[in-house]
Amino acid sequence: MNCRECVEHLYDYLDKELTPAVEREIRAHLEDCPPCGEQFDFEALFLKFVRARCRAQGAPPELRRRILRELLDE
Amino acid sequence: MTTPTASGPTDDKRASFEREALVHLDSLYRVALRLTGNPADADDLVQETMLKAYRSWHQYQQGTNAKGWLLTILRNAFINEYRRRARHPETVDVDVVEPFSVFEDMQEEDPQGAFFDRIVDDQVLRAIDDLPEQFREAVVLSDVEGLSYQEIAKVLDVPVGTVKSRLFRARQMLQRKLYQYAVDQGYIKGSAA
Repeated sequence: MNCRECVEHLYDYLDKELTPAVEREIRAHLEDCPPCGEQFDFEALFLKFVRARCRAQGAPPELRRRILRELLDE
Repeated sequence: MTTPTASGPTDDKRASFEREALVHLDSLYRVALRLTGNPADADDLVQETMLKAYRSWHQYQQGTNAKGWLLTILRNAFINEYRRRARHPETVDVDVVEPFSVFEDMQEEDPQGAFFDRIVDDQVLRAIDDLPEQFREAVVLSDVEGLSYQEIAKVLDVPVGTVKSRLFRARQMLQRKLYQYAVDQGYIKGSAA
């Protein structure tokens, strides 16, 4: 696998959407190719960062109570 | 309406609903908030989604993907009743979105992406809210809620290939916004544009 093919699969790889065979090929390429490795690490960090920043917020307790009350009335 | 008995079918229904559906309340709320753009509409949208889901609970196949099923109901309700009131009803021609790789730009200055650490929650949420709807929903379902391409395709009712291209564009746009913000704040120098 060359760099272009590897980078084409970047998000499929990070999103764990590839078959095990292709995933192995990518992992092998990343081990041999520091520039691709760096790019994949950067993108992985970005995705982790977005997730961490956006999951702090949950449903307000009052909304949960409102829904439970509504279900009881059904 | 039936009166619930000690452990009648109504109780069973409510118990299974609480166990399999209500556990996803936080996810539904986060998605609703990003779609509607305001907490009052998000509250109403989630409440309505839960009520609709409860009334059609018999159509849900136990043990299958409840989160995806609920998010589909939520999104349809949003489109039918809330979209016209939402802050960003526009769609966008994907071809006009210029490709831009933040990594390539940061390769010299900050290849480890340390500048991300300095960007706070509110700023990221605001950057997501600024994305056109079709990109915003892709990012939220994938990067925030962790749905697979297939699950997102089902919720949005588009082919998997469309999900992938939207996600790619959405992530580029989001990175670019956050990068620009980091440059504006002086966290990084960025490329002298």
